[in-house]
Amino acid sequence: MKTFMGYKRPQGLPGVRNLVAIIPSVFCANTVARRISEQVAGTVVLNHPVGCSQVGLDLELTAKALKGVGRHPNYYGVVVVGLGCERFRAKELYDSIASTGKRVEMLVIQEEGDTLKSIEKGVRFAQAMVEEAAKQPKEEFPISELCLGLKCGGTDATSGIAANPTLGWATDQIVAAGGRGIFTEVTELIGAEHILARRAVTPEVAQDILTCIGTMEAKLRTGTSHSELQNRSALISPGNEDGGVTTVSEKALGGIHKAGTSPITGVLAYGEPVGKPGLYVLDCPGHDGEAVTGLAASGCQIVCFTTGRGTPTGFPGMPVIKLTGNSSTFNKMHFNIDFNAGAVVEGASLAEVGTELLEKIVQVANGEPTKAEILKGDELFCITRSYGG
Amino acid sequence: MAKALQIDPRDNVAVVLSDVQAEEEVLVNTESGAVSLKSLSNITFGHKIALKDFEANEAIIKYGEEIGKANAAIQAGEWIHLHNVYCERGRDEK
Repeated sequence: MKTFMGYKRPQGLPGVRNLVAIIPSVFCANTVARRISEQVAGTVVLNHPVGCSQVGLDLELTAKALKGVGRHPNYYGVVVVGLGCERFRAKELYDSIASTGKRVEMLVIQEEGDTLKSIEKGVRFAQAMVEEAAKQPKEEFPISELCLGLKCGGTDATSGIAANPTLGWATDQIVAAGGRGIFTEVTELIGAEHILARRAVTPEVAQDILTCIGTMEAKLRTGTSHSELQNRSALISPGNEDGGVTTVSEKALGGIHKAGTSPITGVLAYGEPVGKPGLYVLDCPGHDGEAVTGLAASGCQIVCFTTGRGTPTGFPGMPVIKLTGNSSTFNKMHFNIDFNAGAVVEGASLAEVGTELLEKIVQVANGEPTKAEILKGDELFCITRSYGG
Repeated sequence: MAKALQIDPRDNVAVVLSDVQAEEEVLVNTESGAVSLKSLSNITFGHKIALKDFEANEAIIKYGEEIGKANAAIQAGEWIHLHNVYCERGRDEK
């Protein structure tokens, strides 16, 4: 079996990076968190706009997202930065991360006194952790220890012909090896639920898939049925239509190719850690950032992101491999896109191009930086929200 | 000659792999070999061309599954997109 060199963690899957994450529990701590990260090489910051003035499910989704990314295997350790009076307490995040055995430190601005004192304390925590992290040797792991996140964005007609089937081929190899894959974008699965349900490992999982997609469709319908919202109700974007995608079912069918052909093992709730080996559906909307954040929170060490039109986005501390089936997009955006699957359009076999992609995934797992990592893309960290419901 | 790809052998549409002009011959790659077809429309790269004549309400198949239905008769070689397709899913259902 193919192997990669990664970092053992106290529990769960190994990391493919060994960074220190600075995570604010509330947006009020963003500046302190950012400045800690700016002063310490080897850290990433996960700033966000939430953590307070939230209730119920909305607050719970924030808690699950922050705890999930806090546990992320690519982080050697985490410095949690709280304000003190927020709804989502820094201590709750700290305890959740500490329970996995990961190194974690916490500081609370209102207890430290002010911005500068908080930054100083955070910088010292982060520096000590980076020094420890540097001493951890890499170890060899089989690719069955990978959990691959699957995402597409900026879809055009080549996504369904080339990039998604190529990624599907590579995903099949990882899942067949005993690894894990997760796809999501439930808003984009509408119209293909019956096809996905046929692939479920049990009738219960089939029902979970239908419920997950049906609930999302019902939620969207309540938000779009108002007459004033008719021009905001299309589930496919103008860019998709320009690219030749006509219906929501067509988009969904093209999209699910990226998850390959393996049976579907289960449906994961947002923020739920991935379970035994297999292919999973994660319950999360299709927004690029919310979906990639959900994939990270469930434990994917790497996300493969197919794009037809091209996109430069990245996630702090988790490689996002961009691949396209559109050679002219690749040529135009080769500083943003990691892999060209365009040969499939010209008639190359999926096995041929898929083998190259799998090799790329292993190289990235070994530490080769993606374009988005080199350019410090971090816009894919977005916590999903829910008002009511 | 312009090329198009039938993705699944069950498909009754193909995806054109370059911009196609009306009256142009298009070579459609299928699992069982290449088939020639005259385009009746200007069709942009990545868009769909009808591989057969459709009656109104007939299913349009891509990726081996129904993606929508013809909203009027469509001739083989015509461009297939928003103007001649409807889909029950993901649209206003009133």
